[in-house]
Amino acid sequence: MNDLSASSRINYQAVMVRPSVERRIRGLSDKALAWLFITPTIVLLLAINIFPLLWTIYLSFTNYRANRPNAPTIWLGTDWYQSILTDPDIWAAMQVTAHFVIWTVVIETVLGFGLAFLIDKKFRGHGIWTTIILLPMMLSPAVVGNFWTFLYQPQIGLFNYVVAFFTSGDASSFQMLGDVRLSPWAIVIVDAWMWTPYVMLICLAGLRSIPDYIYEAAEVDRASKWRQFWSITLPMALPFIMLAVLFRGIENFKMFDMVNLLTGGGPGSTTEVASITLKRAAFESWRTGYSSAFAIILFVTVFGLANIYVKALNKVKSR
Amino acid sequence: MTSANAAHSVVEPSAVVRRFAGSLVVLYAIITMIPLVWIGLTAFKSPDDAISYPPKVLFKPSLEGFCNLFTTRSRQTPDFIKTLGPPQGLCDSIARSRNMVVAGPSNYVPRFFNSLIIAFGSTVLAVALGTLSAYGFSRFRVPLKGDLLFFILSTRMMPPIAVAIPIYLMYRTVGLSDTRLGMILLYTSVNVSLAVWLLKGFIDEIPREYEEAAMIDGYTRFQAFVKVVLPQATTGIAATAIFCLIFAWNEYAFAVLLTSGNAQTAPPFIPIIIGEGGQDWPAVAAGTTLFLVPIVVFTVLLRKHLLRGITFGAVRK
Amino acid sequence: MIVDANPSITRRGFADKILRRGPLEAIATTIIAAGVVMLMQPFFLTLYSWSLATTLFGTVMFTIVSKVRE
Repeated sequence: MNDLSASSRINYQAVMVRPSVERRIRGLSDKALAWLFITPTIVLLLAINIFPLLWTIYLSFTNYRANRPNAPTIWLGTDWYQSILTDPDIWAAMQVTAHFVIWTVVIETVLGFGLAFLIDKKFRGHGIWTTIILLPMMLSPAVVGNFWTFLYQPQIGLFNYVVAFFTSGDASSFQMLGDVRLSPWAIVIVDAWMWTPYVMLICLAGLRSIPDYIYEAAEVDRASKWRQFWSITLPMALPFIMLAVLFRGIENFKMFDMVNLLTGGGPGSTTEVASITLKRAAFESWRTGYSSAFAIILFVTVFGLANIYVKALNKVKSR
Repeated sequence: MTSANAAHSVVEPSAVVRRFAGSLVVLYAIITMIPLVWIGLTAFKSPDDAISYPPKVLFKPSLEGFCNLFTTRSRQTPDFIKTLGPPQGLCDSIARSRNMVVAGPSNYVPRFFNSLIIAFGSTVLAVALGTLSAYGFSRFRVPLKGDLLFFILSTRMMPPIAVAIPIYLMYRTVGLSDTRLGMILLYTSVNVSLAVWLLKGFIDEIPREYEEAAMIDGYTRFQAFVKVVLPQATTGIAATAIFCLIFAWNEYAFAVLLTSGNAQTAPPFIPIIIGEGGQDWPAVAAGTTLFLVPIVVFTVLLRKHLLRGITFGAVRK
Repeated sequence: MIVDANPSITRRGFADKILRRGPLEAIATTIIAAGVVMLMQPFFLTLYSWSLATTLFGTVMFTIVSKVRE
């Protein structure tokens, strides 16, 4: 790297005379090239994301049904929004989502930060073990989530066997996926298993971004380890923790695949998170207008949170 | 670098602390690996071993799961089976021991093949578009740059189900529903945001002076991009490609809602592998194992860049 | 606080302090967060009904505010 920077310093002389250089360049101007490079991406996103979004907004004001494309479309105004935002069933689905989001984020943050804190002690072989821990988050939530239904089987499932072994209970006495009280926790467990590594990885970056000299200064001041943790480690890692919390919050707010395969929203509607409700309305009852309005409500929420996320991202970036 | 050496005395944890931290992490790693190991073990179990109580850790390995994954079978009477010639291959003899004959190949291979085509197709497109845009955003003064970049990222944040409704209608109108091309375009649009953000980070790190020197030597801007920047960005492009590949490979929500047969990928197919009387768990496990192995390999290859990938390039070290 | 100061100067000082990107973004962020909490809280149906409007307002405000000078 050193010899490269030396050569670039020489080139810096040349940069000073850039205007005359640019006039000599044949071909496209920078401005034209910039647009040539950026436009294809923007066009694709407009076609596959923005146009459908605008269409959804339009449909959310109508009574359109995808299974009756030829029926006359009637403009309904904000009727769907009003009915969704006063519907106790949808409200209940939002609370199921809240239970899922809050508990997964809390468990993943505590476990993830704890693991990062331990890994940051740099014991022998921490690189290999970190890679092993990271594996679950790279795998397909759908395919692995599906396999958890096997682990959760009452009699034959490994999960039930292990729990029964440690509590000396009966492995067939409880059903993680069939019980109204347990199923909301069944999905929390799988999500925490998959995504704790995600929080861990970001927290680890946060811990490693804290310069050693701050701890050295604290040692000189004879601050206790406990004090160092609360007044140095945690505050300085906080932007990173926030980043992880926000992203997991957004992702789990719109969680679909894992829950759809584990419980499909059941038993009853005890695990019917917002995306499952939306899927049922859109692709099972074919209430397209209604589900479009619901989709917009979810989208606005995610979009608002995405603004905060990008702000958090920039905060971390400046470190 | 120097501070790390100087810090050795005060800041470095003691051997006891290290060993304690290490053992806790190893314990967590082992617990977290159990479900994955169990998938691998179940793939090699016979159906009886798979559903035994208590769950079997030691068992006689069997390839029945893989056979059931790749074939469809039909039940026959023992008398009929006796009239057939000798079994053709291992799977046929396993099937005959259960009073069945192999009827034909299953849909797993076509679904796996769809996954491959769609994942690679969308990755190539997303990385190509992403590299161009990332270079544009990195090097040129683009009006509303911040807003455009946020717009690009926000498209990735959209809930898939919310997008799936109009995409379904749109694809139905233009005839792209349940086609590989439709899925490739869809996954490209989701991946391109990640590609732009990640690659912008990688290209930002390449000194501008390289291209400027090349341009003084008579290259046009475009030639400088192709001959100077692209070779420098190879690592970044490879890492980005693997991230896009993993996303497209793993994706389930769009696949299950928008494809039914022709373009269906493996994730929506594996959960519906059914044997006689419920799910055929060894076959599901075998399908899952084959599906996960590439990802495990990629994760190990990618481990240095994982952090960058999951924070859209914001956190680099 | 400043008794003897020209009131118009005081007001401008106040506006300078509040009408900056930092505090305004913080307010918008709080409104968005409030909207999300309102959407998922289990206590009052009325709050749930107004959640979309709140989040939307916060998001629009955030977008506008991010154009304000630093």
